[in-house]
Amino acid sequence: MAFLDNSGDIILDAVLTDTGRMRMAKGDGSFRIVHFAFGDEEINYANYTAVTSSGYEDLEILQTPVLEAFTNNASSMKSRLMTLADTTHLYLPVVKLNESYSNNHKRYSADNVFIVAVDEDTAVTDASLNNVTGIFNGWNLDDAKSFRLDQGIDNSAISPTIPIDGDLTETQYIIQMDNRLASLYAPDGTSAASVSFIDDDNVASYYVTLSSNPSYVSSNTNADVVTALQVIQGSRGTTCEFKIKASTNLQTSTYWFTRLGGTVTTETVACRYIDTFIRVTGQRTGYSVDIPVRFLKKV
Amino acid sequence: MAITYKTFNNADLAVTRTLLHEVIPITGSIVSGTYVEGTTNETNIKNYSHGMFQSIYDYPYLSSSANHIMDITVGYPADSAMSNSSPLAQQMQPKKINIYNQMSQLLVGFDHTGAIRPFDKDGDLTGGNKIKEAFFITFARLLVKDEIQKNTFRMSFATGGTAGNSRFLNSMTVGDYGADSSYKVNSPAGEYGILYTSSVTPNEESGVGLLYYQAGVAVLTASVFTSSAANDFGSSFGSSATSADTRNINTVLSGTAISASADGFRTRLINVEFNNTTELNSTIYFCRANHNEFNYSSNPTYLTGSKIRVKEVSKDQPLAYITTVGLYSADKELLAVAKVSEPLKKTPQNELTLRVRLDY
Repeated sequence: MAFLDNSGDIILDAVLTDTGRMRMAKGDGSFRIVHFAFGDEEINYANYTAVTSSGYEDLEILQTPVLEAFTNNASSMKSRLMTLADTTHLYLPVVKLNESYSNNHKRYSADNVFIVAVDEDTAVTDASLNNVTGIFNGWNLDDAKSFRLDQGIDNSAISPTIPIDGDLTETQYIIQMDNRLASLYAPDGTSAASVSFIDDDNVASYYVTLSSNPSYVSSNTNADVVTALQVIQGSRGTTCEFKIKASTNLQTSTYWFTRLGGTVTTETVACRYIDTFIRVTGQRTGYSVDIPVRFLKKV
Repeated sequence: MAITYKTFNNADLAVTRTLLHEVIPITGSIVSGTYVEGTTNETNIKNYSHGMFQSIYDYPYLSSSANHIMDITVGYPADSAMSNSSPLAQQMQPKKINIYNQMSQLLVGFDHTGAIRPFDKDGDLTGGNKIKEAFFITFARLLVKDEIQKNTFRMSFATGGTAGNSRFLNSMTVGDYGADSSYKVNSPAGEYGILYTSSVTPNEESGVGLLYYQAGVAVLTASVFTSSAANDFGSSFGSSATSADTRNINTVLSGTAISASADGFRTRLINVEFNNTTELNSTIYFCRANHNEFNYSSNPTYLTGSKIRVKEVSKDQPLAYITTVGLYSADKELLAVAKVSEPLKKTPQNELTLRVRLDY
């Protein structure tokens, strides 16, 4: 996409996304625009110099060139503007991977990714791979490993003993992943989550909520100021935990590994791999985290 | 509560209809003479083995860059003089009759007995003069879009020429003069206007053809070519046509293939011009950001250690910048995206309404 001409009047370049066109083509009434949101994904707020106070604080931001609209629904609106009634907030919550809580939540440090072993041979049989920190059993989920994300204000200026504002607490998370590769499971590995929808690019979205899915979302009641088990330094909100299970296609064939991945040696074992990511977004604040994931299959 | 989506209410939606017009010029050099291979083979003209019509492209049609612009064909009904007594042995007569019947049943329809109605010169189907021998020029949808704009159609062509002289010796311009205020609606194919020559005062008998606006079809009576003194309607392209091919319109129409009549018309075409019309149905979504809305961001760069970058102390006003508007379904799937050409600053001191128009 090219940049929009920003030399004159402000113009608005609007397009239907591929998902929008797909729904329109279905003709089943699913193309109905109900909500809107504002996005600012081009903006780098680090360019804001608050101390200038001369009217030039945001000059660089206002000069940011804006690209034409993407039609891919997954490529736009990655960060949204937020409405908060209270204008005095100085701190806002974030969502962070918690790899400190236990080794069961850590990534594979050598490659800096979370590895999901996709079949029995890789996940269970191979002694070199089956008990390594950061290599998850994505075949039958029969291990204690899971992804864990904590939400809260990551600043010691707001003590964790102070409860987080109710309007800043995430009670629902959207977990998105490539449906061809994996699906979402509860952190104990016993039940699959129901997918909310799968878009035209095979990205599956799962909604998990504090009230309906307590095994996935729970309140983080830990208020310890100093603890090695927490990654949120200040007020803590909720925790989101889950597992992912490799798709049958990944378990039983090398088709997607050939098309989307390559080969790698992990723990001296020759394997095929696919690199992807899982996006976890707080529904209330819109804050999102991309978790790097590698699917691994022994050659 | 923190929210990032806002729901439209009824006052935030408006539906509009806009007619968009484009000027379509088709010069005579496109339809004949520009893409000549050897002496006579025109590579932008496609003839078919069935011989029912001839297609004209704006570029050699074997190229993927070529666009189909129009077709030309001819026809007359079974009761035409052409089919009864011909100067030459009739060629492709059943096909010419079929073409006429097909076009007339489509564009004029049937009478109360179920018989196909012939084209009527003034559009009054109850009587009057009929157009029997006709050229049909069907314009591609690429050019016509939804319809031809009324009173914009003009077509200039040579009507004949003395052998040995230029075939453009006598020319004529026809158009749907006055059709923006006077057109017919008694066709099953939509609205149509009467084609008149530029020099006449429009009346019941001065029409020389019909123009169907939504169908994008011009019907031109072959009689316009009989007014030339020499009646030259040579069908072959090139220098030989001006010197040797002196057959008149009746001879060509009945005694040659449809493609030969199309060649004769095409090589006499000087210019065609009209405005097309695209009907844009739009929904306008008014995306309103009130003063107390959308003043924070979930952009990862908005925070450093959870602290808002654009604030020094808590009493500072929050602010954020808008570059994108996302339109979502009820289940929060992104259905449409709009981008503003420069970031818009949003603070509690201002309110914004972005008007996003989706055309269908």
